[in-house]
Amino acid sequence: MKRSLIAMILVGGKGSRLNEITKDTAKPAVSFGAKYRLIDFTLSSLSYSNIDVVGLITQYEPYELMNYIGNGGSWDLDTIEGGVSFLTPYAKSGEVQWQKGTAHAISQYFNFVKQYQADHVLILAGDHIYKMDYQKMFEHHLKMNSDITIASVDVPQNEATRFGIIDYDADTSIKSFQEKPEQPKSLHASMGIYLFKTAVLEYLLKDVEHGESLDFGINVIPRAHNEKFRLYAYPFKGYWRDVGTIESLFQANMDMLDDPAYLDLNLSKGIQIYSKSMNLPPHIVLEDGMIKNSVIADGCIIDGTVLHSTVGYQTVVMKNSVIENCVLLPSTFVSENVYLKNVIVNKGVIIPSNYRLIAKEITVIDSSNLSEAGEIDE
Amino acid sequence: MNNLFMVVDATIKGNYNKLTRHRMPGAMPFGAKYRLIDFTLSNCKNSGIRNVAIFPYGNYRSLSDHIGSGDRWDLSRRKDGIFILQPKNLNLKSEDSISFQRMYEHIEYFMRSSQEYVIVTPANIVWNIDYNDVLNNHTLRQADITEVLSIDGTRLKTFVLSKDLLLSFIRNYDDLQYRNLTEVFDYSPSVNKNAYVFESSCFFINTPEELFKANMALLEIDTRHQLFNPQRPIFSKETMSSPSRYGDNAFVKNSIIASGAVIEGTVYNSIIGRKAIIKKGAVVKNSVVMNQCIIEDDTLVQYSILDKETKVLEKAFVNGSIDDLFISEKKQIVVSDKGLKVLQIAVECEPFVKTGGLADVVGALAQNYSKLGVESSVMMPLYPRIKDKYRVLLEMRLEAIIPYGQKNYKVTLYSYLDKNTNFYFIESYDFFDREMIYGYEDDGDRFAFFSKACLSLIDIFEELPDIIHIHDWHTGLIPLLVKNDERAKNVKTLMTIHNIDYQGIHPAGILNRIGLTDVVSYKPTINFMELGLNNASTISTVSPTYHDELRYEYYSKNLVEIINRRERDFYGILNGLSEEINPETDLTIKVPYSANTVFRDKPINKKYLQEIMNIEVGENFFVLGMVTRIVEQKGFDILIPALEEFMAQNNVEFVLLGTGEDRYIQKLKELEVKYPNRFRLNIGYDATNPYYIYAGADAYLMPSRFEPCGTSQMIALKYGTIPIVRQTGGLNDTVEQFDTISKKGNGFKFYNYDSKDLLFQLHNALNLFTNGDSILCHQLIQNAMSAHFSLEISAKSYVELYRAMIGLNNQ
Repeated sequence: MKRSLIAMILVGGKGSRLNEITKDTAKPAVSFGAKYRLIDFTLSSLSYSNIDVVGLITQYEPYELMNYIGNGGSWDLDTIEGGVSFLTPYAKSGEVQWQKGTAHAISQYFNFVKQYQADHVLILAGDHIYKMDYQKMFEHHLKMNSDITIASVDVPQNEATRFGIIDYDADTSIKSFQEKPEQPKSLHASMGIYLFKTAVLEYLLKDVEHGESLDFGINVIPRAHNEKFRLYAYPFKGYWRDVGTIESLFQANMDMLDDPAYLDLNLSKGIQIYSKSMNLPPHIVLEDGMIKNSVIADGCIIDGTVLHSTVGYQTVVMKNSVIENCVLLPSTFVSENVYLKNVIVNKGVIIPSNYRLIAKEITVIDSSNLSEAGEIDE
Repeated sequence: MNNLFMVVDATIKGNYNKLTRHRMPGAMPFGAKYRLIDFTLSNCKNSGIRNVAIFPYGNYRSLSDHIGSGDRWDLSRRKDGIFILQPKNLNLKSEDSISFQRMYEHIEYFMRSSQEYVIVTPANIVWNIDYNDVLNNHTLRQADITEVLSIDGTRLKTFVLSKDLLLSFIRNYDDLQYRNLTEVFDYSPSVNKNAYVFESSCFFINTPEELFKANMALLEIDTRHQLFNPQRPIFSKETMSSPSRYGDNAFVKNSIIASGAVIEGTVYNSIIGRKAIIKKGAVVKNSVVMNQCIIEDDTLVQYSILDKETKVLEKAFVNGSIDDLFISEKKQIVVSDKGLKVLQIAVECEPFVKTGGLADVVGALAQNYSKLGVESSVMMPLYPRIKDKYRVLLEMRLEAIIPYGQKNYKVTLYSYLDKNTNFYFIESYDFFDREMIYGYEDDGDRFAFFSKACLSLIDIFEELPDIIHIHDWHTGLIPLLVKNDERAKNVKTLMTIHNIDYQGIHPAGILNRIGLTDVVSYKPTINFMELGLNNASTISTVSPTYHDELRYEYYSKNLVEIINRRERDFYGILNGLSEEINPETDLTIKVPYSANTVFRDKPINKKYLQEIMNIEVGENFFVLGMVTRIVEQKGFDILIPALEEFMAQNNVEFVLLGTGEDRYIQKLKELEVKYPNRFRLNIGYDATNPYYIYAGADAYLMPSRFEPCGTSQMIALKYGTIPIVRQTGGLNDTVEQFDTISKKGNGFKFYNYDSKDLLFQLHNALNLFTNGDSILCHQLIQNAMSAHFSLEISAKSYVELYRAMIGLNNQ
C-alpha cells in the first residue's frame, strides 16, 4: 500500500566505543534509565508521529534486538499494513552483503522503499535519547519543498567538533555542511536525522555500489549540497543525546536523576515513551534498604543503600552494600558488603561479597574485568 | 492441546463498599501494579488454557478496558480466545456465585467450546496455580465435580467438571433446585464430589479487609516467592510509566513501590501504586496506596486503602486502624477533618422520641460523631412528651416568627447539650403540640413548616454546618430550601432513605406556602421524598444490598428512574446495632449469657420461653422465633405456606410476638389450632419486651420480601439465635450462609421469594440442629455471636462519606 512517508532506522556498526556493553548487544538494545532501551525513544516517537512503516537495518547481534521489538506491538506499530521490518544482511549470489556505511546500508534495502511507493523517506538513528514529532519535521520539509531536510540541534561549543555541523539561513536553507570540523562555523549540529524525497535519495545512492557515497554525513550530504539540491535544516528544540560513548551514556543517566521532569517520562500527555513489559513484579525495599535520588525499575530487591544511581530491572542489592553514582544495568546482583562508586555495571553481572570499586573516572565492569577493576576486601 | 476451558465468574460482587463503585472486583488494583484478574488470566496462560469466557456483572468497563484483546495473556486467538459475555437479562441480580441461568444466556458459548472439561473460577483470587493439577486430580479421582480449597479450608468457588455435566445443569436451570455449582456441590446427592487442596499462597478477596491483608502479605518473602514465580510470571496490562523515582528525603522501608511512583517522603510497610506521589513531609505507614494518589506535605496516612487518584491535602491525617481501615473513594480529596460540622435534621431521635429504627440511627450517629471529634448537632420538633420529660434540661434560645402561607407562626427554639452533641428543638403550638408524631391530616404542612423553621433558625450557628444530613421524607424539602437560601446555599446535603415505601405525598400548595414560588409543580401533589432525592447533594440508604436493589422497580417503584439517574451520588451504608443490646447484660431474660456460657445457659432460656409461651417443654424441639409486624413486607405470603408444611415435623416449635394485618393473623391462628402444643402466637403485645424470644429460640425467621436494613436479625445473631432470612437488603449484608465445609457463616438464607426455597433452608437448619454434628452447630452459634455490627462503625462510614462530599466540592 502506498505511503507518503516511511522511516528507515540505521542501527549502525558495532558501537565499539561502548565496548563491553555492546559485546553481545546491538547498540539500540542497550539499557538506559533503569527500564528503557535506547530504541524505545525512536520507536515511541515514530508511534506518536503516526509513521507505521519502519525498516530497521541491522547487521550486528540482531537477535536480541529482534526479540525485543518483535512485531512492534509494544509501541503500537503492529498495524495490519505496516509494522516494523527487520532488514538484515543476506547473501546475494553467494556473497554476504555487509554494509559499508550508512548510505550503503540504505541502498541495499532500497526495494523496501519501493515496495511502499513512498514519496519521502525518513532516515533515523536507533541510539539517540530524545522525543520528536516527525510530522512537524515533515510539514517543514513539505512547506520548504525541500529535497533533503536535516534535523539540527544546538550543542555547546566544546562538543561541536564531535558532530556534523550545519550552518543555515533565517529561512533554514542550508549554507554549509561540515562533518566533525575542527573550526565549526556554527553550533547547529546535525542529529543524523534525514528526510529525503525518494527520487532524490535514489539518484544520490546510484553510485554507491562503486564505492562512492557510502556515508550520509561524509559523502551524500556534501555532494547533494554541491549539486545544488534544496537542503533545509529543521531546528529541533529539546533534549537530545547521542549516547555513543561510555561517558555520554553515563551522563544521560545522570541527567535523568538530576531532572525530576526528565523528558516528561511520567506525563501522560504528548509523546509517551513505551517500552516492552518484562512482566516483573514491582520492586521491593526491605528493612535495611535506603534509596535516595535514584530511579529503580520493576523486579528489584533493595536491602542496601542506593545513592544517586539508576538501577535496572531485576537487580538485587544486598545488605550493607552501597551503590553511589552508578548505573546498574538490568539483572545485576550486588552481594553483601559491596561498595561501588562511579561505575557502570553491565547487565547480568554478579558482584561478589566485599567487592570494592571507587572509580575516579567512569568505569564499566563486566564479568570479564571484574577482578582487574576492583578488589575484594577480606 | 489443552482439554480445559475456563469460565471466569466475575459476577461475584463481594462486599467492597466504595471500592467497587467504579469497577467490579476483578478490576480491583492489587499489589501496586496488578488487577485481581491478572492472576486468573496469567494462570490461564501458564496452564495453556486458550479458551476463556468472562461473565461480568454491572460496571465492567474498567475490566474490559484492562483486558483489551487479551493479547497480554496470549488470549487473542483466531480459534477460541477470550470472550466477555455480558448479562442479557439486566434484572438478574448479582449473587454469591454465577448462576446456571446467567450461563444459559450464553449457552452457545458452552456448546461451541471444543474442550472436554471446564473450570469455573472467580475473578478475585490471588494465586499462582496450574489448573492442570486440578484437572489431573479430578480425573484421577474419577470425580464428577471437584472444588478447590485453600490450605486453611477456604472454599475458593473454583470447580472442575466435564462440559457435558455443566451443560446439563445449564440446560435445566429453570427445573433444577440448585442455582449454582456451590449449591450442587453442597446439596446434590447424585454427583461424585472431590475436594482439591491448593497448598501454596492464596487469597480469595471479597472485602476491603481481605484486600488489605493480601497486599500486606506481599511484604513476606514466602508469599512473594509463591506468587511471583519467574517460571510462571504474572502478566498485566502494559503501561508506560517511568521507573520509580526517589528524592533526597526519601525514606522507605519494607515496602513495594510500582513504577512511575515518586517518593520524597517516608513510607513504611506499604504498597505504593503506579505514579503515586508521596511528597516530602508525608508519612505513609501500613497502607495500600493505589495508582496516581497524591499525598501532600505534612500528612500522615496509616492503615488505609487509598483508591486511585485520591489526594490527601496538606496537614490531613488519615487515621485508620488495623480493625477499622480508612478507605477512600476513587478521586476523593481528603482534607484535614478537624472541625467537621454536621447537622442532622429529623423528626424523631433517640433518646427523646422514637417510633422506629430511624430514631435509633439519628441518635446513635449524633453521639458517635461527638466521640469522633465531629461537631455534631441535631434539629427536631419539640413534642409535648419531650418537653415534659426534659423540661429542666432545655435551655430556651430564642423566639421567632416564621411566615407560612398567609400566616405568621411563632416558634421557640430550645437547646440541650448532651455528651458534646447539641440537640435543638423547635416548639410550635400550631404544628407540634400534639400527642403523636405522625398520622395527622396536615402532616405535609407540619413537616414543611418544620423544614422552613430549621432553615430560618440556622443563624443560631455562628459557622454554618459543612453537611446537613436529613432522614426520610419528612425533611425532604430541606435540600430545596438550602439551595434557595442565600446564606446556606453552599452547604452540602445528604439524604438517607430508611424505607422508600414511605414517600410523603401531599398537596402541591405546600410549595407556595413554604415560599418556594419559583418551583412549579404540574401535579396537584408533591412527593417529599422525590424532591429530596432530586435536590440533595448526595443520597444514601441503610444497607449496601438495599442500595443495589433500589435500582430495580420491584423495590423502588415510582422512584426507580430518579434512583438510577442519581446513581453516581448514591451510597449504601449499613446501620448497626446499639452496643447496649447484649445478652450478657440483659436483665430481662431468664439467664444472661455470653459466648462462653451460651451452651450452658441458652437451654435454660429456651425452657423458659417454652414455659412462658405455654408450648411443650423439651430440649429436643427446634424452636423458631419471630418478633415482627405481621405485614406483607415481612414475608407472610411465603411464610404461611412454608409453615403449613414445616410444622408437620413433630420436633418443630414456632413462637411469634407481634401485631398486624388480620388476613395473616387468621391463617396463623388456624395453625395454632392445628398444633396447639407447638405453635404459639402472642398477638397485640406490641410493647412487651421481646428479648426472651431472642434468648430462647434456636432460630430466628425473617423471610422478608424486602428489608432496607433490619435490626432483628442483628439482635438474633448477638443472642446466638440463628437467623433464617431471605437474601434481601440488610439481611443479605449481615447474614452469611453457613458452610459446613469451611465452617464459616452465621445463618441460613435463600434467594427467591418463594416458600419452597424458604422451606429448603428451614429443613437445612433443622437438619443441622437435630441430626448434625454438634461441633458444627456450636461453631455456627459462635460465628453468629461474634458477628459485629455497631453504630459506631456506621458513624465512621458516614463521616468518611461527609468528607468525600466536601472533598468533591474542592475539585
